[in-house]
Amino acid sequence: MAGAFVSRLEPVLRALWKALRREQESLLKFPANNLYYAAIAFLVMLDPAVMMFVAIVAGVVLFFPLSTDPLRRIPASRFQLWPLEPRERRLLRMLSPWLNPMTWIVAGFALWRGVSLGLGALVAALFLVGFLSPKLGLSGRGRSWALPLPFPGPLAELIRKDLRSLVRTLDFYCALIVGGAAAAYRIAGLLPADAYLPGTLLAMLCISTCAQTLFGLDGRAGLTRYRLLPIPGWQILLAKDVAFILVSVAFTLALSPLAGFAAALAALAAARYPAIRERRAQLRWRLQSGTSFGGALTQILAMVGAASAVHLYSPLLLAPCLLAWGISLWWGGRELERAAL
Amino acid sequence: MISCRNLTKRFGDFTAVNGISLSVERGAICACLGPNGAGKSTTVKMLTGLLAPTSGDVTVCGHKVTVDAIDVKKNIGVLPEDLGLFEDLSIEEHLRLTADIYGLPAATANDRIEDLISALRLGPARRTFAGRCSHGTRKKTSLAMALLPNPQALFLDEPFEAIDPVTSKAMRDILVAAARRGVTVFLTSHILPVAQEIATQFLIIREGKIVWQALAADLTAPLEETYFDIAEPPTHGDLTWLAHS
Repeated sequence: MAGAFVSRLEPVLRALWKALRREQESLLKFPANNLYYAAIAFLVMLDPAVMMFVAIVAGVVLFFPLSTDPLRRIPASRFQLWPLEPRERRLLRMLSPWLNPMTWIVAGFALWRGVSLGLGALVAALFLVGFLSPKLGLSGRGRSWALPLPFPGPLAELIRKDLRSLVRTLDFYCALIVGGAAAAYRIAGLLPADAYLPGTLLAMLCISTCAQTLFGLDGRAGLTRYRLLPIPGWQILLAKDVAFILVSVAFTLALSPLAGFAAALAALAAARYPAIRERRAQLRWRLQSGTSFGGALTQILAMVGAASAVHLYSPLLLAPCLLAWGISLWWGGRELERAAL
Repeated sequence: MISCRNLTKRFGDFTAVNGISLSVERGAICACLGPNGAGKSTTVKMLTGLLAPTSGDVTVCGHKVTVDAIDVKKNIGVLPEDLGLFEDLSIEEHLRLTADIYGLPAATANDRIEDLISALRLGPARRTFAGRCSHGTRKKTSLAMALLPNPQALFLDEPFEAIDPVTSKAMRDILVAAARRGVTVFLTSHILPVAQEIATQFLIIREGKIVWQALAADLTAPLEETYFDIAEPPTHGDLTWLAHS
């Protein structure tokens, strides 16, 4: 019986490993969220003064490997139809994240630097929530909810859709934790001015991978619909950018909103190429999977530079950020149209 | 209204569509038939600008598809193979999106949306996310999006499949009446009786080439007979291991 148990799981794991390996050409391109890289950096630096503040957010990623779940490669209907017992499905669910090398790297760093019992319990709880989230019905009731938008013109519905898509990513909630905590601290008069820029950068880090995956939740059918719309490509991108910028500024309102705006523009501009040319399907209610380590690094550096410049020097430095974003919008729109024809 | 010349599409070494030339006049309903994998959907994608041809010209509503893509899209309605719906929009929001993008005045948009929801029986699901609807409801939504802007030409990829009989009848009536009023329809289908009922022009594609085309008025035999003779002869297979006694 044990032999049958293993014999059913082994081909599934083998197929998943093959699918993962074929999708990527090198370890650096393995899908990961910007927060993964930040989590490793935080662990390496391990500054006790800031560790507790960022632990909650970092912990979501540190032990939340479901967010880049290889099991998503199996069509859900197919997975449900296989004659696997519930314990086999649970075991697959627990084993599959470890097919992702990023999970090994993050876990290895955590063990190397040591993780307190309390923090371990916290992230284990977060892991469990993520594990159970499909059963908790977090995906909504299926009926649309009204989102009053003051936007005029033909893009209002597109912006509404893109905002709704953002709300259905875990990146959004990571940024919400940071932005919400900052707002609470500020209201209580406990937020020092020195924390505005780092807090802004952390909030932007949380949401920034979504700029790399602008089309990730649209699916193939959504891309078909974009190609059929009689509007230029840059307008399709503009709707997505407006949604991203709105969310970014909202989460940095209690910190440094101008720096947040600059970081959002830089994040979009730096991620334009992977968003258009390296599209990868994403899952709702997961952390979004970015394209490559190099792309993530470029984006993070662009965000840090833009936000720091605007916050520390002058709001006028928003101008070059707007210019870079505008150029990327023009280029991206052209590429979108070219992709159709 | 719809014409193409030597339309070809290659994917690497594989030629999906090989030198297709066709012409569909204004107000005609052209049914494109053929076995699975013949190249019907690829042809529709090239006619609508979803796919770039490897070679050949396509003109729709007086515009070259590869040159005036947006002008073409403003004048056509498409029901694509994958339905082209967003998971995060409801049925009604999809129609509102279409109305906004095509610049329909609010009153016109409201009237047309209600007409379409009624005619295609989308009322119960109008506020449900497209991702949560049945395949038939999603297909009806995609059709409604194609009809809403009053296009000059309609491209419908398998519009009648997975549709309930009452709605299918309504759709046939809508298309026939629209064609009489000058709307040009190009559709693909595997349901031969329906195609024979409404189409004024037929073509059969096999292995990427048009192997037969005719006007409805020139048909001398039932369409199904012609199809089996030309497109693919029916197989008589048996899987003897499929048994439980």
